[in-house]
Amino acid sequence: MLRTTLIKALNAAKLSPKHVSVVSRASSDVAKKPEKIEVFIDDQPVLVEPGTTVLQAAALIGIEIPRFCYHERLAVAGNCRMCLVEVEKSPKPVAACAMPVMKGWRIKTESEMTKKAREGVMEFLLVNHPLDCPICDQGGECDLQDQSMAFGSDRSRFTDIDFSGKRAVEDKDIGPLIKTIMTRCIHCTRCIRFASEVAGVDDLGTTGRGSGMEIGTYVQKFFLSELSGNVIDLCPVGALTSKPYSFTARPWEIRKIDSIDVLDAIGSNIVVSTRTGEVMRILPRTNEEINEEWLSDKARFAYDGLKRQRLVTPMLRGSDGELTPVDWETALLSVGKVLRNAGSSVGAIAGGLADAEALVALKDLLNRLGSEDLCTEHTFPMDGSGSDLRSNYLLNNKIAGAEDADFVLLIGTNPRFEAPLLNSRLRKAYVHKELDVALVGPKVDLTYEYDHLGDDPNVISEIASGKHPIAKKLKAAKKPLIILGADILQRPDGGALLAAVQSLAASTTPSEGWKVFNILHKVASQVAALDIGYTPGVDKIRENSPKVLFLLGADEAAIDKSDLPEGCFVIYQGHHGDQGAVIADAILPGAAYTEKQATYVNTEGRAQQTLQAVSPPGQAREDWKIIRALSEVIRVPLPYDNLNEIRCRLHDVAPHLTRYGEAENANYFKQAEELAKTAKSSNLSGSPIDVKIKELKDFYMTDAISRASPTMAKCVQAVLKQKQSKY
Amino acid sequence: MSSHAIRAGTKQVRPILSTDRHEARQRVLNLYKAWYRQLPYIVKQYDIPKSVDSLKQKLREEFRKNDHLQDIRVIDMLVVKGQMELKETVNFWKQKGTFMSYFKDTVEPKPKDFLSKFLSGHN
Repeated sequence: MLRTTLIKALNAAKLSPKHVSVVSRASSDVAKKPEKIEVFIDDQPVLVEPGTTVLQAAALIGIEIPRFCYHERLAVAGNCRMCLVEVEKSPKPVAACAMPVMKGWRIKTESEMTKKAREGVMEFLLVNHPLDCPICDQGGECDLQDQSMAFGSDRSRFTDIDFSGKRAVEDKDIGPLIKTIMTRCIHCTRCIRFASEVAGVDDLGTTGRGSGMEIGTYVQKFFLSELSGNVIDLCPVGALTSKPYSFTARPWEIRKIDSIDVLDAIGSNIVVSTRTGEVMRILPRTNEEINEEWLSDKARFAYDGLKRQRLVTPMLRGSDGELTPVDWETALLSVGKVLRNAGSSVGAIAGGLADAEALVALKDLLNRLGSEDLCTEHTFPMDGSGSDLRSNYLLNNKIAGAEDADFVLLIGTNPRFEAPLLNSRLRKAYVHKELDVALVGPKVDLTYEYDHLGDDPNVISEIASGKHPIAKKLKAAKKPLIILGADILQRPDGGALLAAVQSLAASTTPSEGWKVFNILHKVASQVAALDIGYTPGVDKIRENSPKVLFLLGADEAAIDKSDLPEGCFVIYQGHHGDQGAVIADAILPGAAYTEKQATYVNTEGRAQQTLQAVSPPGQAREDWKIIRALSEVIRVPLPYDNLNEIRCRLHDVAPHLTRYGEAENANYFKQAEELAKTAKSSNLSGSPIDVKIKELKDFYMTDAISRASPTMAKCVQAVLKQKQSKY
Repeated sequence: MSSHAIRAGTKQVRPILSTDRHEARQRVLNLYKAWYRQLPYIVKQYDIPKSVDSLKQKLREEFRKNDHLQDIRVIDMLVVKGQMELKETVNFWKQKGTFMSYFKDTVEPKPKDFLSKFLSGHN
């Protein structure tokens, strides 16, 4: 198992430079800081901590040393030799990425020797690299291409006198997402290090030596991980490329729009690449507070679901029971008529992909009609303070904060698949720091070891009373985290569970400013919906049996026809023909997250906005505009006509919704805990705690977009196929 | 220094044609009259499906479009352009279709309020 304990890492650092990066990160914990040492890079003096590598020291003053194998988020390998630089009085050039600086070193990054070393390395790399840049998907964004232009020799000495051809390696089939052209591989081993360190799937490795060295899985096996797509970004050449994106576009003909992923509640930052009004691919955008530079496979590859199963025209259910396409005027008029006749007997359910603008517009509309039956599809217990106190339903300690934890108790959640990038943080803390994890719930593979405390909810009260052996650890921990999955709060005893966990969180003794109680949501819209004042759960709809039900992208079938009174008119507004559209009497086509500028709040309470990358297909319109137009048809016009005005309204409702990029802190933990004690049912039922997403195959298709995606379907097939394989 | 700035601020601009408002107004009226007299001939010459009355109305409309203007030089410049326009029309340098473009029959006005913008798909 790849895990370096602090002591081990400190000892190892004295012996080998391999763990230098670990030490530099861990050294912040050590009380007394060693003195800084001075080195000179290109005659510029720079003061660095002992243990800093030459490459890091150079980066401090803005000098970038070329590299292939070095990556700041992975362990140092030092095998590509591209970062060789001259050090004065040293007979040989040194590998900058692996060599810690010594006092008074004079490093020359542009000297004759350095240049010659780079040229030589480049020549060796190119001897065995095919000349297929014109048909290579990496062309235009290839490190090897760029660096051979910048640092390579201007002429080739490679003449194949024996006509034996260049080295060739057989391609591997490692799944439906990653295409391999192994002849292009320069053996930087970034993919291997990523797989074993970050993804926690030790499937990739090297076989053979010298010119016979190959990277692969050794046996025929798929590289299946929820983070596998990141090796495509990591690969400096075109050896690992994206299969769905292959041969579709070139980087220079693409428009890049910064946006936000909405397929989980993390809110990863993404770049949407578009061409000819089509989303070509999705790449991660660095945000240290959320996704670092990684992206989960669902967020990266589910974009082809945006082109299928789309609702492109308004539809009405005719007398024959079939949905027929109509124009907007007809649709709005007939929906308006129904709404006006229903009076205040209107209900609404917001789904997991609804944006804050649409949520607030819908709430304003229904409130004007005299209804308060606005629900979200995913429930949350309303006993005690419910959604009145934000600290009740946020990941209070933030995603980046998970890295600093020393003890994590997961309850009823499988972060690996519910929030892969939170799980990668936990794994990082597990590998590099002394994080201990315990889990209450079904036994799942989290890519790191944990104490499995069983799936009995009464374990929580046992820990709280101090009877359970884990209680001591929780008490002793300086930075404990309790992460509660939002999913299990749907249980009938959800309120009691929440209260139990809150009192457990209150019984810990964390250091100043550390927030123990955390909720991990599964859908992107939930926090914004609760902030705006939606009622979690659809019970209200069942009780009040409205004459008209408005589904705002509600596709999880939380409610079906049998729950509704006879003759209830269902309006579905959304972008995919999924389960919500099936039961609808009228369909109003909305825009998906790549097609609108919209606000989403992630599970830590951070408001972020998507930007419009492409226009909505067919007659689909932006969601809040549909509701605004509908309001005018039923003569209760909403007082906003453009994005700025509706954002002002958002600001009035909850100011943090328009403070983009900032996570608004929540408070009142104590009060929330006190109020939770007043909950009606304080008895936990004995039924075991369960999570919906247990395995990788459950991860890929969880919402309307990913269910419509052929790539995600292929991934599920691949997982099933892998299961049958003997490896 | 400050006296220089004031001088620069109040500097008399060189007139195009008229030296005062009265003169400019006279030029506009003269142009209007010239067009007005020509309208019956235009209807005949261009063989357009418009009556003299509707042309008079259009003429008034075109002049009224600029009735907010105060700058004498701008008014003068527009008068010059109007004269050129008149000359082109009278000499039949224009064609029927070009003249008819004064009456923008086929142009649909752009939607202004929210609902019509929504229905037409304009954002």
